[in-house]
Amino acid sequence: MAPLNPYTYIQCPCSDSASLGRPSDATSPTSAEADDEDNTFDPRAPRANFSLYPLEYLLYCEDCHQIRCPRCIAEEIATYFCPSCLFEVPSSNLKSEGNRCTRSCFQCPICIGPLSVTSIETPPSDPNLLAPDRAATQHSTYSLICSYCNWSSTEIGIQFDKPNSIHAQLAKIRNGGASRLTAKERKERRKELSHRGGEAAVAAAAAAAAASETSGGQDMDLETQFANLKLFYNSQLADPNAGDNGFSSLGDLGFSSPSSLSRIMNLYTGGKLHDPRAKSKLGAMREAITADEGLLEPDLDESSLISQLHRSDFLDTASSTQVCSQPPNLGEPHLHGAARFNSSLRPAPYLLRTKRSKRCPVCRHIISKPEAKVQTTRFRIRLVAGSYIPSISIRRLNLPGSNGPGAPAILGDLLEPLKPVHFLLTFKNPIFESLKVTLGAPAKTPGRFPSKVTVLCPQFDIDANTDVWDEALKDNDRESSGRSRRRAGTESQFQVEVGKIWERGRNWVSIVVEVVPASLKLEQGQDLLKEDEDVLEIPMFVRIEWEVENGGDDATTGSGRDKDQKEKRELAYWCVLGLGRIKQG
Amino acid sequence: MSGLGSGAVAAGSTPLPHRSVANIRSPHTSSNVNPSTPASSSRPLPSSSFGSPSSLRADEDILILELGTRKLQIGFAGDACPRGTVWFTPSQLRRVGDFRDWSSESKTNVDWKTKKVTGERWWSRDHELWEYDVREADLGLIGDKVERALREALTRYMLIDSRPRRMVCVLPSGLPLPMLSAVLDSLFSRLQPPTVSLLSLPVALTVGAGVRSSLIVDLGWRETVITSVCEFREVNTSRSVRGGRLLVEQTHKLLAKHLPENQKKKADNTSDNAEDYDLSFEECNDIATRMVWCKPHLSSPAAPKSGKGLPTLHEQDESDVAAAGSSTEALKTVRIPLRSCRSPTTIELPWEALAEPSENTFFDSQYTESSFDDHELPLPLLVYRSLLHLPLDVRALCMSRIIFTGGCASVLGLRGRIFGEVSKLIEERGWDGVQGKGADQMRANPKLRGKKGSRQASSGPKGVTSPSEAVENREQDGVWHDAANTTHDVCPVEEQLKRGQDTRPRVQGRMRAIESVGAWSGASLIAHLKAAPVSTIEREAWLQYGAAGASKPSEVDQKSARQSLGPGGLIRGSAASNSWTLGVWGMN
Repeated sequence: MAPLNPYTYIQCPCSDSASLGRPSDATSPTSAEADDEDNTFDPRAPRANFSLYPLEYLLYCEDCHQIRCPRCIAEEIATYFCPSCLFEVPSSNLKSEGNRCTRSCFQCPICIGPLSVTSIETPPSDPNLLAPDRAATQHSTYSLICSYCNWSSTEIGIQFDKPNSIHAQLAKIRNGGASRLTAKERKERRKELSHRGGEAAVAAAAAAAAASETSGGQDMDLETQFANLKLFYNSQLADPNAGDNGFSSLGDLGFSSPSSLSRIMNLYTGGKLHDPRAKSKLGAMREAITADEGLLEPDLDESSLISQLHRSDFLDTASSTQVCSQPPNLGEPHLHGAARFNSSLRPAPYLLRTKRSKRCPVCRHIISKPEAKVQTTRFRIRLVAGSYIPSISIRRLNLPGSNGPGAPAILGDLLEPLKPVHFLLTFKNPIFESLKVTLGAPAKTPGRFPSKVTVLCPQFDIDANTDVWDEALKDNDRESSGRSRRRAGTESQFQVEVGKIWERGRNWVSIVVEVVPASLKLEQGQDLLKEDEDVLEIPMFVRIEWEVENGGDDATTGSGRDKDQKEKRELAYWCVLGLGRIKQG
Repeated sequence: MSGLGSGAVAAGSTPLPHRSVANIRSPHTSSNVNPSTPASSSRPLPSSSFGSPSSLRADEDILILELGTRKLQIGFAGDACPRGTVWFTPSQLRRVGDFRDWSSESKTNVDWKTKKVTGERWWSRDHELWEYDVREADLGLIGDKVERALREALTRYMLIDSRPRRMVCVLPSGLPLPMLSAVLDSLFSRLQPPTVSLLSLPVALTVGAGVRSSLIVDLGWRETVITSVCEFREVNTSRSVRGGRLLVEQTHKLLAKHLPENQKKKADNTSDNAEDYDLSFEECNDIATRMVWCKPHLSSPAAPKSGKGLPTLHEQDESDVAAAGSSTEALKTVRIPLRSCRSPTTIELPWEALAEPSENTFFDSQYTESSFDDHELPLPLLVYRSLLHLPLDVRALCMSRIIFTGGCASVLGLRGRIFGEVSKLIEERGWDGVQGKGADQMRANPKLRGKKGSRQASSGPKGVTSPSEAVENREQDGVWHDAANTTHDVCPVEEQLKRGQDTRPRVQGRMRAIESVGAWSGASLIAHLKAAPVSTIEREAWLQYGAAGASKPSEVDQKSARQSLGPGGLIRGSAASNSWTLGVWGMN
């Protein structure tokens, strides 16, 4: 079992169950308990995992004075770039070229390592021809090679003529080396066909149709079929005879509209016997009939693939993670969504990434804005929550009296069940005002194994985060003014007192929490321990209050309107303290 | 940290250009807005044009979202395939910042066992979005899962900002209303699309195949659903639990049986706890997708057999031939490395054994027909019965437009096998729902059979199929039709009218499978062609009324409710006054 470092998670106030609308899980035991304990936040409820964030993930809106988590932030994209070549992609390309790098950045389909273009040295057919100009005249080919797992694109039968614009070349090659038409070429070919006038066009179209009907079934890849279907539907919808109700029956569930009634009537009375004049009014869009119109009859006989599977080893087949990381392959005929063999995997172009600036969804102020340049990692604006709300750090406190022979407590030590343990919570104030903190924690942690929790000092003040040098200069004064600042050396003072702060510093305060871990003994008939059920987690409601002085140090007053009086602010949120694992058995 | 903060603060105190723009856009002062529930703030967010030059186009982009039990697919309308696919995995259920899955320790063999939780199907549950059993479902959790997967898809694959966009949602038509409501809640409150349109999966598939009627055989994860679509309407649905989940469980059974530790155990006692798993779901799922195959159907039986007791006979026959055909091949073994069992090992399986899971999952042909419950019919029988339930004309259309889809359609040989067995069933039984000894006797007895009976009887045992009859009939019709045409052909106006029309007959009455580009791509086509979806839900209406605000589909005048999906086609004033429906999902 991995040792557990104490951690703190904060629940963003945006995901209060009230704001989420319906009390959905009224029947589940967790919410019933929550009702009993007056809406104590249960960190073990499955939904809690979706609203808890470490402090580092949270931002803060200065104008709304509110924490903003990744769920309650409006994002805008500053830059699109390829993570491999760091080339910035204009946003207009994204729609047309897709979400992957269209240069020569590829990932290995086997191990996701980066691929590099390497020239393949063809073995000289004539060994005694060692003329110096040979290298220049020889037509060399290139392949993509993974430097990590040594995979090469020659394994799937793909070689390139040029070392650059690999993406465009790859789009024209099928696995195994056969070439394919890209969408653009297909369009041009079609245009060519339609431009040829008169009978020639008809004949050519017929020939093409015939050709595609014979060989088309196998050749038709997803992209082609989609394009054919699109063309077919467009022509049908544009057909004046087809009337206006091409897809209308998609929206027609009832039989109320006259057009659907007439069509249904036509279905039953119609057919070949019907009066052709009446049929002309039918006007329903017809179906695709040929492969050119997108109709594809699959080859249901997969015995060749089965025998290929039979011949191949387990490791010749692509694992599901490998298949998942493949980009959707438009160039292959239907494989029903999945490449099966390693030989059918293709190099995956890198997914593009974005730099995003973030806004508060309520007041639209920017709360995070990165530098536009791809290479820099700096931010122009970044209002992280850590510089607005106090951070909480957890340390195990070893009292010489209670814990026997004062062995230093190691972090990640297992907690002894039913034995009181003390933890030191240190709250650190990041802002330039003094904070008033109020803590609330349930006496028993929610869940199957309730541990007893006592916060010994639930209410305290933290001094402002003043300048470090001020503090250093004032240090002597404070000492003399009798603030209860404890020193580590004075052993006699190590005594836990209720209602007293344990230790206090310039901008931090430590308090003690006493915990009696529950016993994890399972009774007869109880279910086994769930994952992480042995971790002692305390839900704690933190409420902080502070007053903002206007005029002087306007650290937190972005919008200083009322100049004279002090403005009182407060912020309240749930957080979860993970203290440690309880010993089992 | 404080340096960063103070820098930002300094920036905040001076009126920066971006702030002033923001203030123009939203006249509300920040101080009096309660920010606690940004999602539900009634003020519509301005579809702003900050920063990105693509802002004008953003309104035109329609997002197509397909939700399945195990994955979510998303992309833009008009694209041939989705840009991103996100699978629902247990790691999505973890907290943000919990990187446990990346640690090397999580890959160790027994770690997945500690995840063992209560309840049924704990083994595969975290890999699924929903279970259709609404009684135990945590709807909020479903909404959260959808939201997180969607966010991942939007950030990783779509690369779009969070400006509101219209969405089209492709959903299985059997989705219970509470689930649909949870999904819509999540979409509307978190991503704020102005409208969400709903499309049913079978209809999108039908459009994606280029036909108007079809029989969709969706070999899905949770169950296999067979839907007949006639003229873009779903007319009949039948389902069976024989789906992907069962396949993976059967694969586990097979692998566990061959584990060395279990083989030893088997010598001791044979009783085995069904709820106990020796291997992780991930590994079994992986092996099921990689190695499991399906024995082919014998397309041409040498001798016609009697319909009675067919399945057992058939199975025997098949194994004989398979053994004869590949007697040397059958000896081949497949080595499969297993890592999630107690001690990592490599097991050797005979090649034939790898066809067992699919055999047991989809066919179970060693049992008689009467031993199956309604929810677990073998697939060929299910397809046959759902065809049988259809009216004659619909059946003729549907049987020649069979579309196989779903994850299990990629099990090698499965589609061909189902198709072949259904054809054989039709050949043997015709379109007679009555089976059994009594019916056979009745057919055999010339005194008892009436006029109709004689026709059926002749079609049954002799193998003269009704489809071929239908073809004959059509040909007869065709002849007559031609004759009729020759008499009427003089009218030039008709000629004019007929020119644009297609006179080619529709294929019907024979078994034929066709390929669809897929539900997502079908929906992409529909949205691209600006067809009106079954139901379009406006954000305000949903947030105000929820599912209760929907009116029954029959009560809505479709002509007035219809909206175009095209840019500018959405007339807000009229749309707001209209009532809206939930389509097939709001029927009851």
